[in-house]
Amino acid sequence: MKIKLELFGASRDFSNKEFLEFDIKQKIEIKDFRKEIIYYLEKNFKGNDSFVKIVKNSVFCSEDNNIVNDNFKIIKDQKISIIPPIGGG
Amino acid sequence: MLHIKIIDIEKDKIKTSVAETFIKSSSYGASIIFNGTVRNINENKEVVGITYDSHDELVLKSFEEIYKETAEKLKIIDKAVFIEHIKGYVGLGETSIIIAVACKHRDEAYVLSRYIIEEIKKRSPIWKKEHYKDEQSEWLKGNPIKNEKK
Repeated sequence: MKIKLELFGASRDFSNKEFLEFDIKQKIEIKDFRKEIIYYLEKNFKGNDSFVKIVKNSVFCSEDNNIVNDNFKIIKDQKISIIPPIGGG
Repeated sequence: MLHIKIIDIEKDKIKTSVAETFIKSSSYGASIIFNGTVRNINENKEVVGITYDSHDELVLKSFEEIYKETAEKLKIIDKAVFIEHIKGYVGLGETSIIIAVACKHRDEAYVLSRYIIEEIKKRSPIWKKEHYKDEQSEWLKGNPIKNEKK
């Protein structure tokens, strides 16, 4: 299952692209997907605690543009957006 | 009446004149146009510009929700509301947001305008990357958005 993580705000620094792609073996809840992202960051940006902190303080948005909670289950290929702490306007 | 839009600064411009035209098309007597612009100093750093990032669909959804709430929470039923926010880079002194409101009476217009900007700050997924005179830049920390739905 492929999950395309769309990056916004501070999370844009995670990649030169506008997204990250994850290949996940089975359906996964947001709370575990969050761990996958942190694992990716620890592997690729060793010691960058601020990146990990961003993920811990973020919420996620489903393909149909709803903010989802940690129990939301991703069951098929889809696009998920990471929503870091906001500060616009 | 509601007008909402995200302006991609590379393709379009944000203009107060558009807000004025919209407001004039309403029949209300009291109007306020709020312009948010990039200020020169933030936390003792000299700012030269800001890059705004936006989750467009969620932002527009939040604008609509805020508009609807003003009837329920503020009991302001008769109104015209115009909200445009930019995405992309804007320089010092340039406009990042325009909120224009028109109501029957001035007290409602002031309350409505203030409510909308405060709620956008709290709820709309918009991010700022400040650029400084010393050529450094950083994403502002902001506040975590609340989990709402499953």
